[in-house]
Amino acid sequence: MVKKMRLLLWLITVTLCFATPTLHAEGLQPKNLVTLSLHGESMASALKIVQKQSGWKILYVVDDVKGYTVDANISNATVEEAVAKILSGKPFTYSVKGNFISIAYKATKKQDKTETVVNRLRQISGVIIDESGETLIGASVNVPGSPYGTITGTDGRYELLIPENCNDVQVSYVGMHTSMVKVGRNENINFVMTADHTTIDEVVVTGYQTLSKERSTGSFSKITAEDLQSKRMNTISSLLEGEVAGYNNGLIRGVTTMNATKTPLYVIDGFPVENTKMGAYGSLEEGLPDINVDDIESITVLKDAAAASIYGARAANGVIVITTKHKTSKSNKTDVSFSTTLTWRPYKMYTGNMADSKLVVDLEKEWASQNTNLSGNNAASYAQNLLDYKVYPSAGITSILNYYAGNTSQSDMEQTLTSLSSKGYNYYDQMAKYAKRDPLYQQYNLGIVSNTGKNMFKTDVTYRHDANEDKYSGNQWLGLNLANTTQFTKWLSLDMGAYMKFSQDNAQGYDVMSPGYSVLPYDDLVNSDGSNYTKAQNSYLSTETVNLIKKYGLYNLDITPLDELNLNTTVTKGFNVRAYARLNIELTSWLKYSASFQYERSSYKYEQIADKQSIATRNRVDNFAYDKNGSAVYAIPYGNIFNRRDQYVRTLNFRQQLDFNKTFGNVHNVVAILGTETRDTKIDMHRSQMFNYDTDMLSSGTVDETSLVSGFTGILGNYSYLQTTDLNASYENTNRFVSVYGNASYTYDDRYTVTGSLRWDRSNLWGTSSKFQNKPTWSLGAGWIISKEKWFDAPWVNYLKLRVSDGIGGNVSKDSAPYLVASYYTNYNVGGKYGYVSSRPNSKLSWEKTNTFNVGVDFAVLGNRLNGTLEYYNKKGTDLLASTMGVPTEGYGYSTYTINNGEMNNRGFEVSLKGLILHSQDWRISANTTFGYNKNRVTYVNVKAPVYYLALDYASAYPTIGYEYNAIFGYKWAGLSSNGLPQVYDQKGEITSHQPTNLESLQYQGTTVPKYNGSLGAEISYKNFDLNILFTYAGGHIMRNVNPAFLTCSYSRLGYITNIASASSALAGRWQKAGDEAYTNVPRAIFAESGYSASELYNVYYYSSQNILDADYLKLSNISLSYHIPVSVCRKLSMQNARVQVNVENPCMWTHTDQAKYQLGGYNATNYMVGLFLNF
Amino acid sequence: MMKTYISTIMTVLAAALLFTSCNDYLNEKPKGKKIPATLADYEAFLRDEYDVHRMDVGQSAYLLNDRYLTNSNASYYPMYAANYNWDTSVDRVYYNNSDETTYYAAYSGINYCNLVIENAPTATEAADAQKNEVVAYAKVLRTMHYFLLANYYANTYQSGSAAETLSVPLITSSEVGASYTQVTVKQIYDFMINDLTEAIPYLPDMGTTILHPGKGAAYAMLARIYLQMMDYTNALEYADKALAINDKLIDWNEFYKANKSVIDSESSAQTSQTPLGFNCVESYNFNDGSSSSGARINNMPQWRAKMFEDGDIYFKCNWKLYTVGSETYYRGITTGTINYNGMRTVEQYLIKAECLARDNQLTEAMNVLNTVRKHTVSTDKYESLRASSVSEAIEYIRREKDNLLIYSIVPFADARRYNAEGIYTRVLSKEKDGKTVTLSPSSYMWTFPFPLGAIKNAGNGSITQNVAK
Repeated sequence: MVKKMRLLLWLITVTLCFATPTLHAEGLQPKNLVTLSLHGESMASALKIVQKQSGWKILYVVDDVKGYTVDANISNATVEEAVAKILSGKPFTYSVKGNFISIAYKATKKQDKTETVVNRLRQISGVIIDESGETLIGASVNVPGSPYGTITGTDGRYELLIPENCNDVQVSYVGMHTSMVKVGRNENINFVMTADHTTIDEVVVTGYQTLSKERSTGSFSKITAEDLQSKRMNTISSLLEGEVAGYNNGLIRGVTTMNATKTPLYVIDGFPVENTKMGAYGSLEEGLPDINVDDIESITVLKDAAAASIYGARAANGVIVITTKHKTSKSNKTDVSFSTTLTWRPYKMYTGNMADSKLVVDLEKEWASQNTNLSGNNAASYAQNLLDYKVYPSAGITSILNYYAGNTSQSDMEQTLTSLSSKGYNYYDQMAKYAKRDPLYQQYNLGIVSNTGKNMFKTDVTYRHDANEDKYSGNQWLGLNLANTTQFTKWLSLDMGAYMKFSQDNAQGYDVMSPGYSVLPYDDLVNSDGSNYTKAQNSYLSTETVNLIKKYGLYNLDITPLDELNLNTTVTKGFNVRAYARLNIELTSWLKYSASFQYERSSYKYEQIADKQSIATRNRVDNFAYDKNGSAVYAIPYGNIFNRRDQYVRTLNFRQQLDFNKTFGNVHNVVAILGTETRDTKIDMHRSQMFNYDTDMLSSGTVDETSLVSGFTGILGNYSYLQTTDLNASYENTNRFVSVYGNASYTYDDRYTVTGSLRWDRSNLWGTSSKFQNKPTWSLGAGWIISKEKWFDAPWVNYLKLRVSDGIGGNVSKDSAPYLVASYYTNYNVGGKYGYVSSRPNSKLSWEKTNTFNVGVDFAVLGNRLNGTLEYYNKKGTDLLASTMGVPTEGYGYSTYTINNGEMNNRGFEVSLKGLILHSQDWRISANTTFGYNKNRVTYVNVKAPVYYLALDYASAYPTIGYEYNAIFGYKWAGLSSNGLPQVYDQKGEITSHQPTNLESLQYQGTTVPKYNGSLGAEISYKNFDLNILFTYAGGHIMRNVNPAFLTCSYSRLGYITNIASASSALAGRWQKAGDEAYTNVPRAIFAESGYSASELYNVYYYSSQNILDADYLKLSNISLSYHIPVSVCRKLSMQNARVQVNVENPCMWTHTDQAKYQLGGYNATNYMVGLFLNF
Repeated sequence: MMKTYISTIMTVLAAALLFTSCNDYLNEKPKGKKIPATLADYEAFLRDEYDVHRMDVGQSAYLLNDRYLTNSNASYYPMYAANYNWDTSVDRVYYNNSDETTYYAAYSGINYCNLVIENAPTATEAADAQKNEVVAYAKVLRTMHYFLLANYYANTYQSGSAAETLSVPLITSSEVGASYTQVTVKQIYDFMINDLTEAIPYLPDMGTTILHPGKGAAYAMLARIYLQMMDYTNALEYADKALAINDKLIDWNEFYKANKSVIDSESSAQTSQTPLGFNCVESYNFNDGSSSSGARINNMPQWRAKMFEDGDIYFKCNWKLYTVGSETYYRGITTGTINYNGMRTVEQYLIKAECLARDNQLTEAMNVLNTVRKHTVSTDKYESLRASSVSEAIEYIRREKDNLLIYSIVPFADARRYNAEGIYTRVLSKEKDGKTVTLSPSSYMWTFPFPLGAIKNAGNGSITQNVAK
């Protein structure tokens, strides 16, 4: 019976009312007459035609009319006449209410039968509404197992005769929970239906067409606005986190490319929308598309070939299709929604992995004790030399050196060191207090949808204001989405829309963490008297430099960090427009033509002003000062330094498409599309730099470009020069695609479906070789709804579908070109220019090809209380753009370049489950989970790291066959030596403290991309309260410790020196005396001056397995509690519904180590949100 | 009504398809990147010393003991040591993974020449004559690289077997994945002669710059090729043609005078600027060794220094005995970017001398040789040489050629020619660790194995080793 009720799919044409005209004109009934000639037409389509011609709504039960055909000639009949004629001789009755006609099944025979048993009937009536108070039109009310049933009319009212002894009636409506309602002896029964989030969504949107989910064969994951209610509407990626099996960190089903675009393709309201921008030097960067996130109606993730292949050369990474809200439930009505959220993140600096003042002072003392230069006769002059050159400007070492140089007494030194060592994390504490703030994010959204029957208009406005932790960093933006649909005639409609975004990003350029000198935890930002601390130039610059600055009267280089905060701020202003128009022509009931055009234009103005008072400007001006006759000449005039970038992105998209949809003989359904598409994207950027810029006059000082570009040795001894591109540079990138595509699906009896798609893409991005240029992407798929088989006899299974697909998706590298590109320089030996090939011509350049095989099972069991999907996929990438060793005989033996020859596999499976655990009047508990497993393997590349350090530092440039693309390699740790040095195994398995240089000594450590990830969510509703909890996790991957317990070294004019400033807190557990090697794996503190090869030992330690962290994590990513204000209260405030919500984001993360938690962003990530959501 | 719609739509769709198949729309070239188009853009490739004008003869210089191999290099590179000490126990094929420059640099040069030869004819902003000239330069340069390869990795030319013996891969396209064939010795020589013959009509006597080989270089190259083929008539003819264009010689006596203080100083720390640089008077064209940057001329083992005649001022100007640690050798004392492998007049004089000697014109042959010797032998020790037999004449001519063209492919190619001819052969012999080691004229070592990198990553063709180890 439950199954039968599921099949009672009412044709809810009302929800589509904006698509068909209703012509309400002051009580005038439409006089549309009906003319049609029917021969063996199915009754459903006959009624549809009547509905279309008349503009009336005809309501009927699909299952009831199924199997009835109509032969009739009707001309100039009224609707009633037409319907009467269609129904004549069939067991149906009809009733008219307003311009609705309800058709009911008479089931005469059955009725006769039951009447003999139950001869008394009584009438009940009432109104059915949804949670928002909207009346539901066409909701079904019936007595299960009996012929008694009806549907609600335009006012949501129903009247029904039920047997005298009947106690329950069943109420059902698409998208709502089917409920049994106690009738008792009441005659008037009103009922509020609740939305059903667990039913399988009935349609999937691919961007090119909207398909019935049951008839699709591809792998889709769909998320609706309701699913996202519990989340903060922040970014698309945060919305998808934990909702889609196989989605992790912006990628769908793992990494499928080496050098091309890695991100999925985003499609908004049918058009691909790419947010590709240029970096400062012309490189292309992919961003998330601009959209009002609150305005999202649904997100469909297309994962396999059958789903995504229609996107051709850009389908391989998966496609994320977003539709925005644009529907109201009712004609002649205006819906207004408003929401606001306020998110607060308390700032706290994580210091757990950094050495505190005590450890730093201990290390500084150890540095002195290990430094042999500080013993013996030359100690004083050595110490004075270090002081003069400010090689170690830190307060601790300065006090030590002052003692050794004889400038202060031992007790002074000890007193200083003791006081320094007691200061804990002073600098970071002060930083939190004076230089940082608690980020606060505000967001407001207003949505209005108005429907006048012939015309639907909607607007959505979002304003966001983010204040970031840096006091002068923040951004705000205003997004405006407009959409309009007009139905001109029965067969012609026009959709138009525009999205506009105005944004401003402010970025503080000065980083207190690297203020221009190396900071130690005992340093100050604020003096004891409360004034801002100044690092005087003579405390970090050599005496020689300071003397030169004084002698030539150069600008002083004192640094006052807290005064610098707003002196080097970057402001980026953006204006983005995306406008589209789509003309739909219904040629016949089964053939539609549409032509659509989208224009996108984005402009970004990036302005950075390094104020003349900033240390950045003073430093630059001084370094570009040269001596002329004993006085300073400033090659860069003193004043504000102004950097400006202007960038424009323009995209055109034109598409024409024919849609075919027809059912033959009731059981053969064919859906097909055929179309062409042209897409053209152009990005251009100009960058310029001006000196001595006057922000009021908008004027700048002149510079001698020739001497700046050729360079000179300045007064301070540095060789200073600018590249010509530092002054001015222009960049341009054009991508063009021309495509022809089509797909078709055939369904037999709603049980068996086969689908196929084909697409040809051509582009300026790849070469002319016919082998690739005319190669189509394709897919084939098959689906079988097992649960619809007659023989299928498992009443607890409501739905069971098996689907298989195979096909190809492509991917492109947007900055590749098939052309020969050369670089030219002057030949000083013989004169003239010499040129060399910087990228070889490659007529075989092509899109990357990823073949995806997918098997999936969709199911719903136990009265739809548990539903889910299981998927297995095998993605085989070939022709991937990979680094390859040049062929020596072709003249490229020493070169590597990218060519379409890489091969990579991604295999995995995904599970998503949703279950309704408890459902009663007051309680509703549901849970859902996703899980994705992905195994990546490089199966072919023709490249091998020429030397060991390239394999270590650029692992992804030299992938290794048989391992993951993101695999990292390192040395096998062999513990500490008896004198505390790090040791590893070399290629022969021998223990060494020297860095093995043989590639064979590098061992596989793991991959940096999770092998599995998933989520677990629960939703608990009690009366008006909803509690949502979402856990996410990922694992099977590793990362390198970025904060190894080993001091780094750098080169100074006095040779190698030790960087104590960046010391790790783990050094507290370092080897200190013989025998410690039994207890610790942290090497002794190795200083540059201690006689060891410090940088080699650092590499031995850093690249060893000892520094590999397990990156598994589990995090509580979201808790939300919302309270729905009771409908009765809302009504009084003329609202449909209202909700107050509180969220806590990322409160907890569990990892194997604190360092892993730090590197995964687990500290300082908790957001607290409060939100108000109103619908009028 | 409906039919009208459909036909309208179909027309629009068809029109769109026609429009979209327009190739011009998709042939949008990227901006901000230099895509060569003009002849000058292509011609500039010929000025790229690193990619086009490097020829490394490292292993042949070690095999001939022209170049000193340091102990550390000997222990680090087993193949270098095997060549240097004529050690037949070492599998050079296995160890040839660290000396690829000869092969890689030569094919790099060939690739650039192919690129120019393929594209210059359709380049813009130039007259046909200019295009032909640029193509001709590229053909001469390509020939020079093929000559090096053919005389390094394959058997020398012998008329009897040239058509059956495999030589080196012949590649004539610069395309990615271009196909090639490992041709026979005859085919590669025919190819070289044909290229030069085609090029000569379009060449000026001397090229635009010293990196551009003119007619002089082309004739000189033909003389070298015919000599290698033991075709002395043609060799003589082309040597004469080359010398008609340039017959200047470096006067080493003059050089000595100008750099006396450096050359006569006790220490070898100071160096003088080589006269074999870009402005070298005897160059037809310029071609580097393994490196395209300046350095001292290569070092020489002591026993090799004995093969210079007494009073050789050229030797004195270029090398000085030097001891560092346990090693003593003749250290180079001239420095600069040296024209090791370009075509030079001195080679043409000596080709002419040999051709004359082989024609039994011994006096004429010795006159030519003595013209050279006047420039290379100290004025106070110079005496004219006379030969009483062809064999003696060849002995004298060969000594001068081996010395003056040291560190080029010429001494090695000559040695292989003499070995193949079997008349004027020479067994190399030296003391190594108290034992006498020798290199016989028939040793397999006179051919070097292809580098492993080229065999393993063969591209669109296959390569067979011409030597077993």
